[in-house]
Amino acid sequence: MKLPLPTRKKASPVDGNGDDPAAPVEQAGPSKAEKRAAMKTAAIHHSAEGGATAAGWVDQRVNASGIYTALLTRKVPKGTNWFYTLGSATMFIFAMQAITGVFLSMYYTPSATQAYASIAHLTNDVFMGEFVRGLHKWGASLMIILIFLHMARTFFFGAYKYPRELNWVIGVVLIILTMVMGLTGYLLPFDQRSFWATIVANNITASGPVVGPYLADFLRAGPDFSATTLSRFYALHMLAVPGLIGALIGAHLFLVVKLGTTAPPWVRAARPKGARPTEMVAAGVPVAVSDGPDAPDAAPANGAGPEGAAEEAGESTPDDAGPDGEVSA
Amino acid sequence: MNGREKEEYLREYEQLKKKGKAFFPYAIMKDSVMFVLVAAVLVTMSLVMGAEMGPKADPTTTTYVPRPEWYFFFLFELLRIIKSPELVPVATVGIPTICMVLLLLLPFYDTGPERIPWKRPIASITGGMVVVAMAYLTYLGAAAGSPSEIVLETRPQYEQGRQIVAQSGCLACHAIGENGAHGGLGPDLTEIGTMVPRPAIKRSIAVGPGIMPSYQDLGEEKLNQVADYLASLD
Repeated sequence: MKLPLPTRKKASPVDGNGDDPAAPVEQAGPSKAEKRAAMKTAAIHHSAEGGATAAGWVDQRVNASGIYTALLTRKVPKGTNWFYTLGSATMFIFAMQAITGVFLSMYYTPSATQAYASIAHLTNDVFMGEFVRGLHKWGASLMIILIFLHMARTFFFGAYKYPRELNWVIGVVLIILTMVMGLTGYLLPFDQRSFWATIVANNITASGPVVGPYLADFLRAGPDFSATTLSRFYALHMLAVPGLIGALIGAHLFLVVKLGTTAPPWVRAARPKGARPTEMVAAGVPVAVSDGPDAPDAAPANGAGPEGAAEEAGESTPDDAGPDGEVSA
Repeated sequence: MNGREKEEYLREYEQLKKKGKAFFPYAIMKDSVMFVLVAAVLVTMSLVMGAEMGPKADPTTTTYVPRPEWYFFFLFELLRIIKSPELVPVATVGIPTICMVLLLLLPFYDTGPERIPWKRPIASITGGMVVVAMAYLTYLGAAAGSPSEIVLETRPQYEQGRQIVAQSGCLACHAIGENGAHGGLGPDLTEIGTMVPRPAIKRSIAVGPGIMPSYQDLGEEKLNQVADYLASLD
């Protein structure tokens, strides 16, 4: 993902990306790509010398230590506060739901005739059965609360804006899927409440435009509510939807690591009050960490369009500590 | 956000990041504290509230009025607020779908560079209003109680009859006070005691005149209790 990025390192020939057609042809030093290759070779040699340890053997093949450094040594911006724990807390609850769900599925029978009895057995007879079911039941409520709080934080902090639009979209899909989990899971104990609530939910689905009736038929597995309906909800609840949620959490996290978490919007990097970055450049205040002296012509305000500046800047992404293991020095 | 604003943002962000702390251990530390907190709350909830079960699902009862899980109350209330039948699809599918699409596409129409909540009043006020509306609807849903509930004040000697009426699905066709089917298949029972004498009420329940089903199966005792209760409504 290449973003029209400013000059994190000013566009000097030394840092030009070797792949960039716009980069100067003659390079004064090793290109970024070469450096990267050198580092990787060094890492492989190092672990090879490390010899027969299993960890080294694995690391040599998967570059686990690189991924590890990229994930853990990446920086979170100044001002990060407790609101930023809501996302990981949601993920934590999802993991809890997955674990308790596995235990529940060991006792659950997804059949219209036996579902209720199997849950009753689990609740009343199995050691810690009601406790685990309680964890799963209330975990669903907590997950909904946490995911909505997480979304509220993202909304009010303006964190969905450039360059994180895609991550917002993934997040909204995750919220919808979480609600779907609540809906499909509700039927499974097969008591009066869950049975009739599901019928209502299905009728609501059927009243939808165009696809509504077909979707409702698909969920019911036919025109009427039947024994197959239960297995269908069960499959959705414990295979399809959680799988999708897991995959999307992966994509969500990938983008978080790639783009970095936002800082609270009112937190500013120290600079004269009220000054806009462009004015600061004009005033000679260094705004970006640079290898060399600030060249005024590198400032985007002076004519160079965003695209041009991005071309000059070459390789930058907001966070060089990508999962490829390269960490910004 | 135009190109210049994007660059400004990224440059500013890069600086903030430079001044920030490493994810490990600082952010991890906060996350872990939060995990412990969440786990503690969850375990407490499970221990205190457990996981009760309702009666087994019975597809032959047509009178059980279900309630969804609390986090669907706001959708449920939308349904109750919008009464006219031709508008029901609007409440059930229309409004939620529109809201969902608006939410999904948010970053594509709100493209301004400002991120501070109090400096983008339209977004913040809209968001705040949505939160308040959802909270209010959820509260309404929670406060409304089960739809098979009758909130009309009842003298204690008629309590038995009231419960039987609530549980027997009378409200699927009849209205009693604020509850039940207003404009449903059967007449409003709110003041039935002033219109029909008790013996006639009892006979109606047992026989089921017209399209009304017979409730003879309730048994003599319950029939009497129901009749007492209904005759007391005035």
